[in-house]
Amino acid sequence: MTLSRREFSKTLIGTAMGAVVGFGADPTSQTAAETGKSAVILARSEKLKRIDDDIGEESARRFLDDALIRLTGKPKADLAWKSLFSPAETVGIKLSCLPGRKLSSSRGLVAAIVSGLSRAGVGPGRIVIWERTNRELENAGFRLSRSAPRVIGTDDAEGGGYSEELEASGSVATCFSRIIERVDALINVPVLKDHDVTGVSIGMKNFYGAIHNPNKYHGQHGDPFIADLCRHRFIHGKLRLTVVDATRIQIQNGPAYYPKYAKDHGALLIGRDPVAVDQCGWNILEELRRRAGFPTLAEAGREPTYIRTAARLGLGEDRDERIERIVLENG
Amino acid sequence: MTRMKSRRRFIRNVSMAALASPLLLGRGARPAAAASGHEARYYEKLGEMKVKCTLCPHECRVADLERGTCGVRENRGGTYYTLVYGNPCSVHTDPIEKKPLFHYLPGTQAFSIATAGCNFSCRFCQNWEISQKRPEQVKSVELGPAAVVHAARKNNCRTVAHTYTEPVVFFEYMLDCAARGREAGIPSVMISNGYIQKQPMRELCRVLGAVKIDLKAFTEKFYGEQCGGRLKPVLDTLLTLKEEKIWFEIVVLIVPTLNDGPAEIESMSRWIFKELGPDVPLHFSRYYPTFMIKNIPPTPPNALHAARKIAMDNGLKFVYIGNLLSEAENTFCPSCGKVLIRRLMFSVTVEGMKSNRCKFCGTAIPGVFA
Repeated sequence: MTLSRREFSKTLIGTAMGAVVGFGADPTSQTAAETGKSAVILARSEKLKRIDDDIGEESARRFLDDALIRLTGKPKADLAWKSLFSPAETVGIKLSCLPGRKLSSSRGLVAAIVSGLSRAGVGPGRIVIWERTNRELENAGFRLSRSAPRVIGTDDAEGGGYSEELEASGSVATCFSRIIERVDALINVPVLKDHDVTGVSIGMKNFYGAIHNPNKYHGQHGDPFIADLCRHRFIHGKLRLTVVDATRIQIQNGPAYYPKYAKDHGALLIGRDPVAVDQCGWNILEELRRRAGFPTLAEAGREPTYIRTAARLGLGEDRDERIERIVLENG
Repeated sequence: MTRMKSRRRFIRNVSMAALASPLLLGRGARPAAAASGHEARYYEKLGEMKVKCTLCPHECRVADLERGTCGVRENRGGTYYTLVYGNPCSVHTDPIEKKPLFHYLPGTQAFSIATAGCNFSCRFCQNWEISQKRPEQVKSVELGPAAVVHAARKNNCRTVAHTYTEPVVFFEYMLDCAARGREAGIPSVMISNGYIQKQPMRELCRVLGAVKIDLKAFTEKFYGEQCGGRLKPVLDTLLTLKEEKIWFEIVVLIVPTLNDGPAEIESMSRWIFKELGPDVPLHFSRYYPTFMIKNIPPTPPNALHAARKIAMDNGLKFVYIGNLLSEAENTFCPSCGKVLIRRLMFSVTVEGMKSNRCKFCGTAIPGVFA
């Protein structure tokens, strides 16, 4: 029940409907854990389409649970969540909120993730939902909270924003958000977007929102800076899960919301390998761009080569034959 | 390490001085509101809410809601804004020798201001805690151009120095401060990396009193690998300053093994002599480990003296050594060799000059001395 890259990308836009699995995990099917490949799951449904710029928590929860079963090989969702997170850990959920509520991480999706964590025994006091600034969170429709679970921007973090000490990671030298410094585990919840400089902004690029000087690392289309940043122990050592919000995709003129080139797709992209997730996200974006008549990102002079660099650095898998693409539909 | 810490403490103190000292700024100074906007002066609209910044040679293409490489200019719906206008994060009074400017009003104080941000990312930056930050990451005060000039006068400063970080990134603020100060008889000086386009540099020259340029090295390799910029535009800026006939001096921070090769110093000195003339003061400054370069020890004194000798052998008349106590801080008459201005750290004694001439042999000394 796995798909080739082309089939996977086409599936997202509704042309390869036969090659998908239905909603509800089949415990007899082979799981990613068993194949040894990096699994990326595309959950796609009308129920994941935005209404009033949000999706329903219940739909998101059902797809997430099913995806985690397939990713972990556990027979039940609660066990799948428990296999990734322990009650003693503090978990940071990194959002993507720069463009405002039209193109930010959906609130319903975040609520579904919090629900999953709670079933893993992670109490609300150990969950931090965060972005760069309080203003970005509020603009994306999140209500700030200093009580459990906390919803805060780095600018409002205890001890003041970013660490005073410089951290080096390859070509990057930066001060990290005090939030990412302190959490034990990370769930990354980016939005799938075209990016005017780096080609795409998906999972790895979202961690530019965890450092004080992202403006210094957009040169050379972010290559090798994005990959180097994601090598750092605060990211590589803590990232457990990436859940890409592809319910609405900016296919051109990103990373801000530009309605003319935004497509409602009702999809999530879920995986544990950040490189494989970005590679699949890039494939999907290219397919959508092609269908809309845009040149490839390479032709546009902004191929996201940092994904290849990240693979070369051992952060994950970008080879098609080593990525298992699984599509979940309906629900 | 001791020096690094004291430097960092100094920067913090400088920043805090702006927030804490009513003596410096008067009682009206107040913390700046977060990231307000003032439309940038140099940029082009590209359509579909994109802009191209034309202030510095990076020429950043900036999408909506994004910032340029300086981190202090932001595209908001297709209009480009500077986020630091009137919001310095550092305010202090310094001897003008500290900039260093040795031939411009020696022995006077400069009211020194900086905002967050820089268009370079030098791996040896001494002020990275403000230069490599975004405006919302540092504490700033509201201090408009009129208030800057007022505070300079109140603190007995002859000049306003735009310094510490990179004033090119707060271009509009510097321009307005300089224009306002010029009317009031308090000229501005720009302490810069020279990474600016020709047109804005020319506009600044109409209102500035003097400029100091950090020439980081004399190879594109160094600029690319260590600074995140290019050499050629900096050389172009030096040529523009000469054309504009504004007073300027050059500083070269010598980083052992990276830009201290005799051949490089020789090429640089020859270029300065040929293109700018023998009278431009050249300062070789001592580097100390900091920021991203902590594994290279401080510049040995003999490397600085060797560089100075090469420059003087190539015809430059006023070559100094900085960040190191030595006789090479003094100004000597290029004709009779007598000491004209004696310096010990920031203590300055003008002992051999009458007006702008050597009082011993009458040789004219280039610069602005009164």
